[in-house]
Amino acid sequence: MDGELLTGHLQELRRGTVVLACLALLRRPGYGYALLEALESAGFAVEANTLYPLLRRLEKQGLLESAWNTDESRPRKFYTTSAEGSELLALLLSDWEQLHAAIRNLSEGNER
Amino acid sequence: MTTLTDRYVYAALRSLPEEKRADIDRELRASIEDAVDARVEEGVSPRDAEREVLTEFGDPGRLAAGYADRPLHLIGPALFLDWWRLLKLLLAVVLPVATAGVVLGQLIAQQPVGTIIGTAVTTLLSVTVHLGFWVTLVFAVLERTTGRQGFSEWTPDSLPELPAPGRMGFGEVIASAVFAVILGGLLIWQQVSSVFRDEGGRPIPLLDPELWSLWIPYLLALLVLEVVFAFVVWRHGRWTYGFAAVNVVTSLLFAVPALWLLFTEQLLNRAFFAEFGRDWLIEPGSVTVTITAFVIIGITLWDIVDAFLKARRAAHPVATPAAA
Repeated sequence: MDGELLTGHLQELRRGTVVLACLALLRRPGYGYALLEALESAGFAVEANTLYPLLRRLEKQGLLESAWNTDESRPRKFYTTSAEGSELLALLLSDWEQLHAAIRNLSEGNER
Repeated sequence: MTTLTDRYVYAALRSLPEEKRADIDRELRASIEDAVDARVEEGVSPRDAEREVLTEFGDPGRLAAGYADRPLHLIGPALFLDWWRLLKLLLAVVLPVATAGVVLGQLIAQQPVGTIIGTAVTTLLSVTVHLGFWVTLVFAVLERTTGRQGFSEWTPDSLPELPAPGRMGFGEVIASAVFAVILGGLLIWQQVSSVFRDEGGRPIPLLDPELWSLWIPYLLALLVLEVVFAFVVWRHGRWTYGFAAVNVVTSLLFAVPALWLLFTEQLLNRAFFAEFGRDWLIEPGSVTVTITAFVIIGITLWDIVDAFLKARRAAHPVATPAAA
């Protein structure tokens, strides 16, 4: 398998799943770097220069809420999924389930 | 002491709106410091850690574009086709008209041929560059201001016609332009360099020099108009009876003044024919005038009939490949 070809198609397939993962993870408040780490360990390889602007865009769209936490020595901006964000997450997840089922049907159909 | 991080944050934020900067600055620094700390805990020196982290963050311009939601291209896929079509159309229409106009102006001012060619070339170049620059600039601004949607909804009606019998090829436009250049060139050449010269060494033109005050510029303008007309017909795709009717008008615009000038002894230059002692050759009834009149009438009639034949062929195709 050509490595470059595979990378290209995988990127194409995973585009958009980062939003889903962010909304799911941020049901509990989180800040930039911790979220980056969490996404990476969950298997979502996302670049810092993609994630940080994305968080702001989602906030602007009303899907995330943010608050500065200045209790620690290093002030951090914490993001939380908003009510609207949870609603969208539920819709995206059900779409994801449907896709998953549809694709399984397709591949099983081919094996017969 | 300024650190690499300071410089990075400055580079990323300087193109962002003022009111967003403070918040992003704080968050970006915290994110960079978190990442550096994580590496230092793994045993990397703080200096190397900072360098590695910033390398991973990548070009600050890209990060700024992400924050400001700005495109990283001049003209995106939504506008690209509109941009390309408009540019091609403008070049095809404006370039010949502007160049012909400048050349015509130079001819009227009776500039030497070398100057005229030089001006024509510089006009071609500067008009091309200006069109390219301004059209692209407008589209780049649209890309950044509008909702990035194309101008016009595409419908199947905008599909081009199949090449069928009666379809006009671009060759006809080229032929029309070549004919105009040759005829225009002859008109100028007979003025600036004739076979006969007077005592002062100045050329004696074949056509009456007085025509330069009105009729020769008129003919040159008509030649330009013919090329534009050929282009319009080509854009439309095929000859129609409407175009054939317009063609009658342009043909008569040429033939009627030419014949009138010929028979009132204003077309041919008496001095030219006097050079070989036959100045009566410009008078009506002479063999020169008769032949010239027949040539003018012949060309005009052929041009008019040809256009109607093409229009009829386009209206009633004999056999199209699809029908066969």
